[in-house]
Amino acid sequence: MSAPSSSQALEYLQGLPLQTHRRLYEAPATVLAVFRCMLPHLAKTLVMAMLYMPASFPESQLNAWFKPGATREKSHALFVLAQLHILDTTREDDGKRTHSLSPGFKRSLRHALEGSGRDGSFGVSATAEESRGERRVSVEYLDEYAKAQWETILFYMVGGAAGVDVKSEIGAGTKKLLHTGDLVRTFHGQPRITKEGFTFVLQETNAQVWNLLIVYLRMVNDLGMNETDVLSFLFMLGSLELGQAYSTSTLTATQLQMLDDLSAMGIVFRSTKDARVFYPTRLATTLTSESGGLNTSGSSNSSSTSSASQGFIIIETNYRLYAYTNSLIQIAIISLFCKLQHRFPNLISGKLTKESVHKAVSQGITSSQIISYLTTYAHPQMQKNKTFIPPTVMDQIRLWEYEGERVETENGYLMREFSTQAEYKDVKKYAEECGVLKWSSDEKRMFFISHVEQVSAYLKSKKGPR
Amino acid sequence: MNNIDGSDRHLKTEEAPPPSLLTIVLDTNPHAWAHLSSTLSLSAALANILIFINAHLASGNTNEVAVIASHSHKTSYLYPTKTPSQPTRNGDTNGDVEMNGNGTGRSHQESPNKYRPFAVVESTILQNFAKLLNETNESHLAATPTTLIGGALSLALTYISKSTLQHAPVTSGTENSMAALADAENVHVDRVALTSRILIVSVSGDLANQYIPVMNSIFAAQRKKIPIDILKLAGDTVLLQQASDATGGVYMKPERPEGLLQYLMMAFLPDATARASLVIPSAGGVDFRAACFCHRKVVDVGFVCSVCLSIFCEPNLPDNLCLTCGSYLSLRAALTNPPALIPKKKKKKRKAGTDTATPGGSTPAGSSTPVHP
Repeated sequence: MSAPSSSQALEYLQGLPLQTHRRLYEAPATVLAVFRCMLPHLAKTLVMAMLYMPASFPESQLNAWFKPGATREKSHALFVLAQLHILDTTREDDGKRTHSLSPGFKRSLRHALEGSGRDGSFGVSATAEESRGERRVSVEYLDEYAKAQWETILFYMVGGAAGVDVKSEIGAGTKKLLHTGDLVRTFHGQPRITKEGFTFVLQETNAQVWNLLIVYLRMVNDLGMNETDVLSFLFMLGSLELGQAYSTSTLTATQLQMLDDLSAMGIVFRSTKDARVFYPTRLATTLTSESGGLNTSGSSNSSSTSSASQGFIIIETNYRLYAYTNSLIQIAIISLFCKLQHRFPNLISGKLTKESVHKAVSQGITSSQIISYLTTYAHPQMQKNKTFIPPTVMDQIRLWEYEGERVETENGYLMREFSTQAEYKDVKKYAEECGVLKWSSDEKRMFFISHVEQVSAYLKSKKGPR
Repeated sequence: MNNIDGSDRHLKTEEAPPPSLLTIVLDTNPHAWAHLSSTLSLSAALANILIFINAHLASGNTNEVAVIASHSHKTSYLYPTKTPSQPTRNGDTNGDVEMNGNGTGRSHQESPNKYRPFAVVESTILQNFAKLLNETNESHLAATPTTLIGGALSLALTYISKSTLQHAPVTSGTENSMAALADAENVHVDRVALTSRILIVSVSGDLANQYIPVMNSIFAAQRKKIPIDILKLAGDTVLLQQASDATGGVYMKPERPEGLLQYLMMAFLPDATARASLVIPSAGGVDFRAACFCHRKVVDVGFVCSVCLSIFCEPNLPDNLCLTCGSYLSLRAALTNPPALIPKKKKKKRKAGTDTATPGGSTPAGSSTPVHP
């Protein structure tokens, strides 16, 4: 379940240049977080096998280690490792290719596992002297705080579109963030949610936090902040302990500036603007683990375990929808694509109709977003079924949408003008193994891929030996 | 348009591998480690194993670990250990919830260079290990030169069994489904089945005296589909080789024990998910010899009770009764006819019709069904 929520983060990381990766991998906490959350399972195994290897790993031996049927998984693992610049592939004098871990990554991961680093990247706890005059903050309080802050942001986004008149005030920085990320646009002085905003709202909390943080990361260069510093700090936050006070004395200027922004989002807590300690909230400590942060549907039961997704929605095959929630945000979200009929203290009921789905589609919500939202929050009783949502309902939502729009677009690269059929076949097969192949036409000898880097490297390496 | 069709009703594919429980049985037999100290000391080995544990915990967010010491006079948990009245922490999944084992969590010095879950596991293991060594006195060592691998194995199996139960996905209980309907908070649907494996780091040889308990554990593991991996640093036992072979685990006997960490990382870290696509090392030729039930000796040729299949190395049983099941078993008869390898008589090419002693065999090729007189 960790894959979906951190996949955006992985995508963002993959897009970073080599220099940024090099600098990022200086910090053990970052390396550990990248290792734990971003890498595919087999890639982790590969990294660990090579971590304490004295020499580099010849490609022939690597191939021998994998079962013949697993080339697809192997290519995928190597692809991700190469994109993140974790794996260096060099060609020996005799023409054989060998793999080795990039030195910075190797050193930092060793430090992380051994605990032998010197730079305190896992957070320096506040000393007694620093936390003097600070009241002890309980975990429950932190949860409440994080939840309140985060829900305010969500409210600000959905409030306008759902017609719920909530005048929620969020910080100017956060507001700017939402506008920069194109999650919200202003119409007639009122914030109106965009298509991207809907995608955002319909996600799990953990994915939302990452989404917002990535928007933040895209912004930091304009604010004159150091991107590497920001990323390292985020990964450090993910490895901190909930309910523990941490010192701000070791943070850089950039990171101190970040603390203000993050506390506005509820990711960290500071009692005052210039307090010398900060507390990470659950939103922060679950950044690099799979269990979703906050339980937005829950009532006052803050002590309940923060299990990944608390399902509360039941859909029947007659398109009736029941949601066990009293959270205004969830009600507002559901009302975006569903005709609500009744509201009880812990339950709302409504019906999915053609009009309600059309209304949602016209506002920019796609059917897959609705379905993924319903699937994410499906009630445990529904989760026992083979498909969580009744297939008829799923198909009908799609059909309603397709009445209007029929084309989906995706950016990518078209590969064509291969000289021979054999070459075409070979490169296409490679692209398929990497999982980037989207479409192909054997007659026209062309195919379409979503990522070009690995394939072009493959083409180059093919040209090399000849 | 095509994907409106029912074929696209895919479930959300679970990309993350299931949580993996690694149970390490560490053979801490002082005699054997003293013997091995020139190449690999116990403390160095333990340090390597701790790094290996960290690597395992880092490999999956929900991975768990348990460490059991198989000492000369007793077996004990190194991690997790029971700590009464310790508040369980919700955010941390890298560990057992009930037996969290961070009794020292608050008291030990927080290191800014160490990931906290790692630090908790490490300090617990080291503390329990020191306690175990301090409890050992000379009389314990003098009593036996070997280790209680059978007990440790069964301890590991019971722990795995318990954890598996705790992780078992909720079955669709019909009895109070209405209660579950209204009370979504208390239903844990996100529990995924646990995959477990056992790693035995063994240094002692001569485990034949525990043949029966170990074999029973092996069969239990086989049944539960728990692979038993063996890292044999010194000594050699027939038994453990059989354990890995029967359960489909990894068997390795490193040439150079000082490179322990690399062996661990390369061969023993991949869990069940990764092993599906990797070639795993195993024992080439497995020694399938059994140990006798009377003197615990490994035997090449023995005597087997016809009722309970117990193995004996010599025919002189008291009162001609089987030691295990007590049924009458006269092995003298077997002794008078010592099992000898009789060279097969060279089959002569039979000519059809010459051998009439066996009516069935005399059928000439191509003839119809033989008619019996």
